[in-house]
Amino acid sequence: MIKRSGQILYAIFTAAILCAGMWLLAFATPPVVAAQGDADVTVDHPPTDSDCLVCHTENTSQQMTLANGSQLSIAVEHDALLNSVHGTTLEDGPLACTDCHGEDIFPHDAPPAASIREYRITQSNICIDCHREEADSLGDDVHYTALVEGNHRAATCVDCHGAHDVQGPQRSDLDIAQACGDCHQIVYSEFSQSVHGEALTAGDPNVPTCIDCHGVHSIQHPTTALFRNRSPELCADCHADEQLMAEYDITTNVFDSYLSDFHGTTVALFEQEAPNVATNKAVCYDCHGVHDIARADASNSHVIRQNLLSTCQECHPGATADFPDSWIGHFPPTLETHPFLFLVNLFYTILIPVVVGAFVLLVLTDIFRRIRQRLSGNRHRT
Amino acid sequence: MGQTTTQTQPYTYRRFSPVQRFEHMILLVTFTGLALTGLPQRYADQMWAQSLIGIMGGIESIRIVHRILATILMAEAIFHGGVITYKLFVLGRRATMLPGIRDLRDAIHWVLFNLGLRREHPHLPRYNFGEKAEYLAVVWGTVIMIITGYMLWNPISTTNLLPGEVIPAARAAHSGEALLAVLSIIVWHMYNVHVRRFNRSMFTGNLSREAMQEEHAEELEAIERGQVEPELPATVFARRKRLFWPYAIIVTIILVSGLIFFITYEETAIVTLPQRETVFTVNVNPSAGDADRGEAAWQTAECASCHGPEADGGTSPIGVSIVERQIGLEEFVRAIRLGPAEMPGYSTAKLSDDQVADLWAWFASLRAEESASLPTTTSDH
Repeated sequence: MIKRSGQILYAIFTAAILCAGMWLLAFATPPVVAAQGDADVTVDHPPTDSDCLVCHTENTSQQMTLANGSQLSIAVEHDALLNSVHGTTLEDGPLACTDCHGEDIFPHDAPPAASIREYRITQSNICIDCHREEADSLGDDVHYTALVEGNHRAATCVDCHGAHDVQGPQRSDLDIAQACGDCHQIVYSEFSQSVHGEALTAGDPNVPTCIDCHGVHSIQHPTTALFRNRSPELCADCHADEQLMAEYDITTNVFDSYLSDFHGTTVALFEQEAPNVATNKAVCYDCHGVHDIARADASNSHVIRQNLLSTCQECHPGATADFPDSWIGHFPPTLETHPFLFLVNLFYTILIPVVVGAFVLLVLTDIFRRIRQRLSGNRHRT
Repeated sequence: MGQTTTQTQPYTYRRFSPVQRFEHMILLVTFTGLALTGLPQRYADQMWAQSLIGIMGGIESIRIVHRILATILMAEAIFHGGVITYKLFVLGRRATMLPGIRDLRDAIHWVLFNLGLRREHPHLPRYNFGEKAEYLAVVWGTVIMIITGYMLWNPISTTNLLPGEVIPAARAAHSGEALLAVLSIIVWHMYNVHVRRFNRSMFTGNLSREAMQEEHAEELEAIERGQVEPELPATVFARRKRLFWPYAIIVTIILVSGLIFFITYEETAIVTLPQRETVFTVNVNPSAGDADRGEAAWQTAECASCHGPEADGGTSPIGVSIVERQIGLEEFVRAIRLGPAEMPGYSTAKLSDDQVADLWAWFASLRAEESASLPTTTSDH
């Protein structure tokens, strides 16, 4: 209801502004006198964009002083708005300044924000008025939660999407990674040198960007047990996909071979039975690295032979040179690669049916005799 | 079947001593428990195994239970070794459990009899071929499980001596042997002592004459002939006992120490390390800092790019205002060295302890200015 009436209001409002604009163009020279400095000029009608742009020019050096003493520039790039997703491409024409900023009658006070950051956060809340669906999906989003808890450093809408120059969601994956990187600089610089990041920079459309693993508006904290327990499946989304991996000549056996290993078996059980309980068994990124993940055969890879021992030692500090070999890799063991393991498996593959089969046959002969005796009415054996 | 025989011959024969029944009880409990906590791990990708693990309290709990039961079983193996040694070398009993060619012949005879190809049921000894097969399987299986179990419990000390590949091989053998043992028990043991005839002798100690006749005819005949094993002369018995106990005690001590070593030497398979925590000490002498040098360091290090040139948070969305933050020296040094949240850590190579002291001094002066110029602080939260 609110959403619909809001839309109707917007429609009426936009129409009104359009009418006002046409009226201005047709009949009048702007009635507003350029308001410079503290000139006392008043406007007696709802302000139009051109009213606002009298002061809020692109190049104005005018600044407002906020409560904490910071200087906030009042410059606005109106062209950026017109070229944005809220600009001329909108069906009903571009949004007007007042659509977002309200209809303060000039002269208006400095925004009631203590700092530039606080101003930015308050302005961001305006987005929610229209973008209800996105707002509802915030839920326990890590940025949103931090913001609500009073952490002003947490990202708000405009930090990722931009303000006047906001672009639609069909941004390139690289663009998205860079937007995250504005704050997460360390992570971004690690990521951009990783196997995924390098491919992303090179324009590969398949590699993951930040949001593919972390989500968009409902980002979970990646240090939770839940995130960790589910992470192998996250990797498997791509790495167990035959079609996708064929392009890169990467085995899709990685997930299954992980699951059949001690670590993977345990983590999968936690994921099934107690997804919110932390386990100390390794997940994909404990060995391969998180944002700095490299090709498995790259010299800086955590899992290449010469680096594997130190990777194991992160969890198994006493491990020595032969310890890493107890991990057989992501390929099924063969007689050439793992003769001992292969033969043990072969031994039991043969021994179990032979022994159990022999016992079954012996039991069957006993049952056979008992049935025969019963049928022949011979109750005395021997 | 055979009601008439049991009524006319109401005798039972003593078959198992209390010690044997006690050992069987231990084996029964540990084997069942080990199978229940172990096999679901082999089949962890199956629904039934997952629900079983869930019912039993989760994978980590059942692994602990599995290890406790394994420890009890190993202690029992040591005890059994002592019992066997005592029987064979002190009491001088015959090794009636030892399998031989005769058992193979008995088995073939029995199968032919079952198929109607021989008229006579084989005359079986005190321990027949079926029981010997089971005993052999228990001994062989337990040895395999102990060796491979050691490797899985202590992978680091194992790979100190052996190639790493033995660990997954041990896992495969432990898992394969478990399946073999459980299936054998279900097929052979269950059929012989529960389905074919509910044989309570392992719990009561006694077996009916009818069962004796079918399964241990040779022993029954010997008993009924009054044939008993010759009594050991008292002097020989006393001498053997004097020899036995010191050795038994020494060997037991060695084996129990081995067992304790087994279960306590390594924790890596149970308790892997939590995330590493960087240890650091505050080597910064706050009184040695110089505010001017601190301001210079602030500009030359990359601090200003996030926290602003005036350390007030600047315009960057993530830059914290240091001036407004009431933090103590330790928290300050920790933040610089470890880097909280998005901030990178700065090692002493990048920012020396003296420089940190200078920065601290500069902040102190900034705070002093701040509180002088702004008597009313704006609340940020």
